[in-house]
Amino acid sequence: MAAEDLPSEFDVVILGTGLAESVVAAAFSRVGQRVLHVDRRSYYAGDWASFTFNGLLSWIQEQHVSTSLLEEGEELICLSNSDSGSIRNVQVFCFTRWITDCFVTQASQTQGEEPEADRSQSEPAKKKINYAQLVKEGRRFNIDLVSKLMYSRGSLVDLLIKSNVSRYAEFKNITRILTYRHGNVEQVPCSRADVFASRQLSVVEKRKLMRFLTSCMEETEEQRAYKGRPYLEFLSDQQLGDNLQHFLLHSIAMVTEDTPTEEGLASTRHFLHCLGRYGNTPFLFPVYGLGEIPQCFCRMCAVFGGIYCLRHSVSCLLVDKESNRCKAVIDSRGQRISCSHFVVEECYVPANQKKVATPSRFVSRAVLITDSSVLHSDSEQQVSLVTVPPIAAGCPAVRMVELCPSTMTCMPGTYLVHLTCQSVGSAYEDLSPVVTRMFRTPESHDRENCPSVLWCLYFNMADGSGVEVEGHDLPSNVYVFSGPDGGLSHERAVRQAESIFNKVLPDEDFCPPAPNPEDIIYDGDTAASTGGEDEKQEKEGAGGEEKNEEGEAGEEEKKEEGRAGEEEQKEGAGEEIHEKEGAGDLAE
Amino acid sequence: KMAIRELKVCLLGDTGVGKSSIVCRFVQDHFDHNISPTIGASFLTKTMPCGNELHKFLIWDTAGQERFHSLAPMYYRGSAAAVIVYDITKLDSFHTLKKWVKELKEHGPEDIVVAIAGNKNDLGDIREVPMKEAKEFAESIAAIFIETSARNAVNVEELFQKISKQIPPLENPEGDSNESFKLTRQPAPSTRRCC
Repeated sequence: MAAEDLPSEFDVVILGTGLAESVVAAAFSRVGQRVLHVDRRSYYAGDWASFTFNGLLSWIQEQHVSTSLLEEGEELICLSNSDSGSIRNVQVFCFTRWITDCFVTQASQTQGEEPEADRSQSEPAKKKINYAQLVKEGRRFNIDLVSKLMYSRGSLVDLLIKSNVSRYAEFKNITRILTYRHGNVEQVPCSRADVFASRQLSVVEKRKLMRFLTSCMEETEEQRAYKGRPYLEFLSDQQLGDNLQHFLLHSIAMVTEDTPTEEGLASTRHFLHCLGRYGNTPFLFPVYGLGEIPQCFCRMCAVFGGIYCLRHSVSCLLVDKESNRCKAVIDSRGQRISCSHFVVEECYVPANQKKVATPSRFVSRAVLITDSSVLHSDSEQQVSLVTVPPIAAGCPAVRMVELCPSTMTCMPGTYLVHLTCQSVGSAYEDLSPVVTRMFRTPESHDRENCPSVLWCLYFNMADGSGVEVEGHDLPSNVYVFSGPDGGLSHERAVRQAESIFNKVLPDEDFCPPAPNPEDIIYDGDTAASTGGEDEKQEKEGAGGEEKNEEGEAGEEEKKEEGRAGEEEQKEGAGEEIHEKEGAGDLAE
Repeated sequence: KMAIRELKVCLLGDTGVGKSSIVCRFVQDHFDHNISPTIGASFLTKTMPCGNELHKFLIWDTAGQERFHSLAPMYYRGSAAAVIVYDITKLDSFHTLKKWVKELKEHGPEDIVVAIAGNKNDLGDIREVPMKEAKEFAESIAAIFIETSARNAVNVEELFQKISKQIPPLENPEGDSNESFKLTRQPAPSTRRCC
């Protein structure tokens, strides 16, 4: 497998395999553009990647290398092709040796340094997992750098379905929404069934909550009167009581106390609108982790002829002085590759071309491997979103996602917990107070019934929503994508991809459905004779899975003839109706 | 009526050894002399009876991502079987088998059924890989071994029959109420509670 040269002519060259870049790669390739998609890393998805446990340890080491040369009072400004600088303040703790012997090390020293077997097993009934086991079973972990969920009616789910990229992945429902309140973890009733079944709500509260949730679906005069005033004020004027107010503000709207009413209502409605499509919460999570999603879009791009090359980068752009357009790129092997458009992840843009050299905002992240769930229930395979309101004034609200082994993101007997908040200080400063309160660690006290933290990682990541994608000193056909933002949804990345696609190809459809596997005909040189046979060919399963909205899948196929059957459209119509019946679980 | 069981099969092997041709022969019983890298096929399907089950193979092609060593881990996820293809007329393609086996060990599921297919056996006169050597290697890693010719439709059906036979019987679905599902326009069944 000698290293081949890349073709020297493309329509679009894309550098970076994060979500937005991967979506736009699939979109371009799908409509016949010749796409070259490269990433300087050895793995897909950049800051959106997920890693095995051992893969994460290597990632930690890489971050450490890039920041260890910094001295007090200095700042790192990264040039393209060096490390991005999107990651800071990496700290790793391993508590498997248990409380008294815990050790706190720099990232680079952690690897392979687990002390000998666990001696002090505090709970004899439950065997503690030691570091060697985490490493041995490391492949069972898929640890995401970003922590997000997919709204069941959000733009990412819509896009996955519309494009048929959804067939590359499987998903699970988030099974429950929890919140941290008065030192306890409680379940938030969010579907109608939950409200009725709730034991913590009084009958009066149940009625009030149902009435509120039904009434907030439509905009009223009363709501308009609160425009610009805090949602909290609106809620408290509804006489809902503390319980319901907490649930509605922190767990359903997921906003802060000073968020304006119109915003709070919009996000409450979005939450309610997403209930019942797939499950009893509004959220989905991809099996094997979020890092799968960019890979799925990359596959779609490749399936339509896109060329992939990891461990490969672009070292410079050749710009036509007169038109200020990028005509070609020089890759990391010194090859000249001509292109009409160049798409690049923000972290590759050299600092001196940037409008603002460093990201303005960061997200604080923690990843914990724990030994049990934050809230026990009949099933051990719960996937939970936990909202943690600010634990003190000035502290950020923390969002926590607890994943069970059946999501294929952690080994049996463990849970993978992701914590995320807007950075106020370093990730450790922002998040360790929450970890100490909700989990058992060497720093926590009286947490006998809480899950134990076996291993944890803290780091800050640049917040993509605080990164400029426009206004850089770059040619007009160079498009910049920001990395992941700190929000829960994927809206921003999908919107960015769609808007750049529309800018480049305003007359093309964005990610039209790929043909069903059953519809693909290898016609070769017998194209003329296939027409009649096609129609007779069995269409087992087609259309039952997905509907072609426009009923024109494959019309643009160059090599194969995709066909969108009439049955499909008929079935599709039926599905629409079905879907409406399933909508608005609560609003009915 | 027999139960249909979907089985993902991923294809591995160097560019040009005939991965796509094998699938094309199996699924459409067709051979294209100048097949270009597969465009537009997410995966191809074919259903075969096996015992009292129907096995519906979802056969994934590398989509060219192997060309610059850039296959994504998602390619291997949930595969019931992998077919590693080499070209009997190219010794190099046999030497890289070991690399693909290693890659599969790293990224593939633990219980995956592995088959090694020596393709282009219609070109026996320019053979570079002795069958015996390949067979011994396959045995050493407990893999199925077969030589195929996609062009002449030799042993392609047999390859998948052998795979079918090695697929372990379906385990009883465990009581996990939150099973994973594919996204479709319809709400997923089963998980909605009814009042």
